[in-house]
Amino acid sequence: MDTMKRGTAPTDFVRPGMTPKEIVAAVRSLQGVCFTNVGMRDAGQSDFKNRHRIYDLKTLAPYYNNMGLFSAECHGGARWHVGIMNRRETPFEEVAILRELMPNVLLQTLIRETNLFGYRPYPRNIIEYVVANVDIDVWRCFSFLNDVRNMRSVAEVVLKRGRLFEPTISFTSADWTTNEYYLSVVRDIVDLCSGTDEIVLCIKDMAGVGDIRRIASLVDAIKQKYPDLVLQYHRHITDGLAMPALLAAAQAGAKIFDVQEDSLVRFYGHSPILSVQAYFEESGIPVHLVRSEAEKAVQKVREWIGHYEWAESPFKGFDHTVTRHKMPGGAFPSSFEQAEKGEFLHLMPSILKVMSLYNRIVKYFDVTPGSQITWVTCSGIVNRYAKERGDAGVRHIIDLIERFVEEKAQDLRAMTEAEQQELLTLLRNAPGDFKNMLLGNYGRLPMGWPDEWVYRSTFGDEWEKKMSERKELSPLDSLGNEDIGGPRQELTEHIGRVPTGEEFILYLMHPKDALSMIEFRDKFGEAPLVLPTDVWRNGLRKAGDRVDFELRGKPYTIELVSVGAEYEGIIHVVMRVNNKTRVYSVDTPRAKKVEIRMAKGPQDIGAPINGNIWRIGNPERGAIRAGDIVHKGEEIANLEAMKMENAIIASFEGQISEVCVKLNDTVQEGQLLFVIEKT
Amino acid sequence: MTRDIHKVLIANRGVPAVRIMHTCRDRKIGTTAVYSTPDRLAHHVFMADTAVHIGEAPPVESYLNMDRIIDAARSSGSDAVHPGWGFLAENHVFARKVIDAGLVWIGPSPEVISMMGDKIEAKALAIKAHVPTIPGISNVTNIDQIRTWMEQEQVSFPVMIKASAGGGGKGMLKVERDDQLGQALSQVRSESKKSFGDETVLVEKYIERGRHIEVQIVADSQGNVVHLYERECTLQRRNQKIIEEAPSPSLDEGLRQEICYTATRLMREIGYTTAGTVEFIFDAPTKKFYFLEVNTRLQVEHGITELITGLDIVGIMLDVAMGRPLPFKQSDIHPNRWALEVRLNAEDPKNFSPSFGKITRLQVPMGPGVRVASGVYEGADIPPYYDSLFMLLITAGADREDAIRAMDRSLSRNLRIEGVKTLAPLLLSIIRHPSFISGEFSTRFIEEHMDELISMFRDESSEDEALKVARYVAEISALGPQTWM
Repeated sequence: MDTMKRGTAPTDFVRPGMTPKEIVAAVRSLQGVCFTNVGMRDAGQSDFKNRHRIYDLKTLAPYYNNMGLFSAECHGGARWHVGIMNRRETPFEEVAILRELMPNVLLQTLIRETNLFGYRPYPRNIIEYVVANVDIDVWRCFSFLNDVRNMRSVAEVVLKRGRLFEPTISFTSADWTTNEYYLSVVRDIVDLCSGTDEIVLCIKDMAGVGDIRRIASLVDAIKQKYPDLVLQYHRHITDGLAMPALLAAAQAGAKIFDVQEDSLVRFYGHSPILSVQAYFEESGIPVHLVRSEAEKAVQKVREWIGHYEWAESPFKGFDHTVTRHKMPGGAFPSSFEQAEKGEFLHLMPSILKVMSLYNRIVKYFDVTPGSQITWVTCSGIVNRYAKERGDAGVRHIIDLIERFVEEKAQDLRAMTEAEQQELLTLLRNAPGDFKNMLLGNYGRLPMGWPDEWVYRSTFGDEWEKKMSERKELSPLDSLGNEDIGGPRQELTEHIGRVPTGEEFILYLMHPKDALSMIEFRDKFGEAPLVLPTDVWRNGLRKAGDRVDFELRGKPYTIELVSVGAEYEGIIHVVMRVNNKTRVYSVDTPRAKKVEIRMAKGPQDIGAPINGNIWRIGNPERGAIRAGDIVHKGEEIANLEAMKMENAIIASFEGQISEVCVKLNDTVQEGQLLFVIEKT
Repeated sequence: MTRDIHKVLIANRGVPAVRIMHTCRDRKIGTTAVYSTPDRLAHHVFMADTAVHIGEAPPVESYLNMDRIIDAARSSGSDAVHPGWGFLAENHVFARKVIDAGLVWIGPSPEVISMMGDKIEAKALAIKAHVPTIPGISNVTNIDQIRTWMEQEQVSFPVMIKASAGGGGKGMLKVERDDQLGQALSQVRSESKKSFGDETVLVEKYIERGRHIEVQIVADSQGNVVHLYERECTLQRRNQKIIEEAPSPSLDEGLRQEICYTATRLMREIGYTTAGTVEFIFDAPTKKFYFLEVNTRLQVEHGITELITGLDIVGIMLDVAMGRPLPFKQSDIHPNRWALEVRLNAEDPKNFSPSFGKITRLQVPMGPGVRVASGVYEGADIPPYYDSLFMLLITAGADREDAIRAMDRSLSRNLRIEGVKTLAPLLLSIIRHPSFISGEFSTRFIEEHMDELISMFRDESSEDEALKVARYVAEISALGPQTWM
């Protein structure tokens, strides 16, 4: 490595604990360029639906630790949500594992300004709470509207914690995304961050659409205006032209480039680390990289990547038409997954076509949540026409929008009366987020509000009222602080215990999925962290198959003895767990569920403990039936458990509307016994 | 008059049945188990030499069914009956029936059982023997009687309503307020009727923060009465003991001698034979003790006395039943250990809700200073019809600290029970609590410290966590890849 300076620690020119100023200075003084390795986040997000488990990714950490990287992107974006929902591992666990295994590496996240790691704008106090509780060194923060105002809260907390803030401009190719436009965004950013000494600026080409001359020109324009600004280029490879674009950006002065292991590269992620290094060096640009370690990491990936074939997109190969439809790398696999599940995979070419027209009607950047808004809106339109009018209908609507946008320049009056009517209902079923965006709830659109007809099409008769309600403020300024105790109490009630701080943050971001995750982990413990991927996905398949793992410093082995045949919805599995034979009954989806009604509402009387209902009513008045009036404090049943009697007391005056148990029933604690209507 | 016993029918189940069979085995005496339908595969059934089915699940049809039990004794060739504790242990009618059937009754005479079983009569006898008693009122049938007595004797709430025929913590209720009197009185009467076939009740002043101390007595039919020192049984939940120890940490030597001799005097006075216990409530601030009741049976916690004295109380009961004199004098009894017992009940440790079901895994603690009395085996069922006690864990050491240390080790490291919830986490919290360690506690300790005790529960162990992983592997091995993945 002739480009590496010899010293005590030649590889880590930056490391955790350095101030933002020190990091920026180190990059500036670097001869040549350096890399952010996105192998632990965006590589998986772009081509493997974010399914790469920390169990496998952590095998790369020892190599990353000595690779001489600028940073490792391992956190944020959709990896956060998918971790909770599908991998059942939390971003907090991942960071803790990686910190231990690669202490020299700056850990990097991707955060959606006011949306943080979720899908709605959060008020300032929640942003501050979450950012202050996530242990990340480099905070790459973007806005799908390039509304820099929305970044302020994240920037303030990151800077206050002494971590590096990396404001990001969302990049796309369109007639309106000129250098002047971007320079105005950069100016806002430099103003927000009081100069260029403590930030790295990222250009985020999330779809992989920036052509070579375009990106060279943009980098050059920024460097002309802000010579000291350190620039990072994040470019997806979807159009097949990424590597020359990277070189052009490097030659124009960009310093940091996003790459990933060659063996992780498919079609929508980033360029291969070894190839980029070789290409740059050959072109005379030194690269700060310990190539031998990078080669080992590339090789390591091959040991486990085969377990993720199922997660790859069914839509294979580069797609140069991305320059028109602009679906970002990260959204590709998930969109195709949804299309496959919803059985409309065959409509994908039509949906992509509609997207390419749609993005000329409403102007923003196709990155979360914008990409989701685009996807849901466009796939909704195509699906509706396909359902109602078949293939002919799909051809018709594409033809209509195409003529309206391309030939008539969105001049409604140039269309026939019937076509006008159709366009004016086109967006009526658009998702709520689309409507929120039109109302300014996410911030200012980069090119201002869309045309009036869009509001008429979306809101129908209410369009004028809705237009008058549009907000110019950033959500940071329009959203009042939310009481953080409320959701904490809610979560406590849901899980029946005090949640950890980390569980609470998961819940703030993704309430429904966090609950399901917490329930899963309460039941299955650390299975997501300790099981190899093949066992995680398929279990043990034949008698004698075994899995070895360590848990909290002790060795464990699980060996399969047999899996029984299904009987009445139950399968018995016999395994040896550390040599002890255990039999597990597993419910299949066909298992009969004995539903036990639990007391929930204020009118429900539940069993205080497990036991037998040996008397309904009381000795004075005899049995109690539905319709009877009962008095506050009156005994209405008696429950015996282990030879102790427990009186069930009516807690208020009322009429019994239902007796939910029979005499001599065995009941569970909390089981519904009576419903009483207050009188 | 001496007679031999060749085969004992144990009219019980679970822990007491198994405990009695152990001594019979030592003495080469045959055993007969009785069982109800759900107990067909229970532990005590297989410990015995022969086993006889005596009826269905409800106790009145099986373990309280006197005629069926006596028939079982005859048909199995048993010549003696030991009632254990609970069920028919303090039922004088049963004792009489056993004797009338020509069988040996291993217990005190029906007359003594009857006398002591009636709390009102027992109290009168205690007064006669100059044993201090708690102020109270007998034969209560309505709440006005209680109110009048409270007014006359200037007694304030709380008061205790007790079934005259009750025992073992059953059929008694503490009443805090006047408006609870009616409900409480009818509940005690009903429970008493159901459990003991008699609804006579008495009401007593409730000694706040009292300590519960009892004296173990053994006596033979030659008139020798010897005490085996006291036990402290203060830690209770719902009036049922869950931790006992011997000796008592709350007595000094003078009080110890006084309480033990008072108990011996009373038992001599009433002509008691075999093993029995005199229970007292001890008011620590005033250093006064009051007579509570006599338990005319082997007690759950007899094991700690055995450990500190080195004697076998069940063996003594067999000897006395055979007409032999006690082989020792009072001056021969020298306790030289400290012993601690915890009751492993199948209950939710947070709210005492019963937890019945199958014990899927049972790993019993071993190691120095540990004795386990178990009524179950791995794979056994705990049916919902009977007492929740399924195992006693007893440790002993040179002093109290030693015994606690061995108990801590047994509960925290070596005990593993899967399939049912047990009190183990609560028991561990209690013996680790500073008040327990310093010996400062009352009968209300558990209710007063419940939240604190629960907060001391250990949430997880690495073995539990490994089993969660195994559960996952089992599910996926059976079901294959899941849609949520």
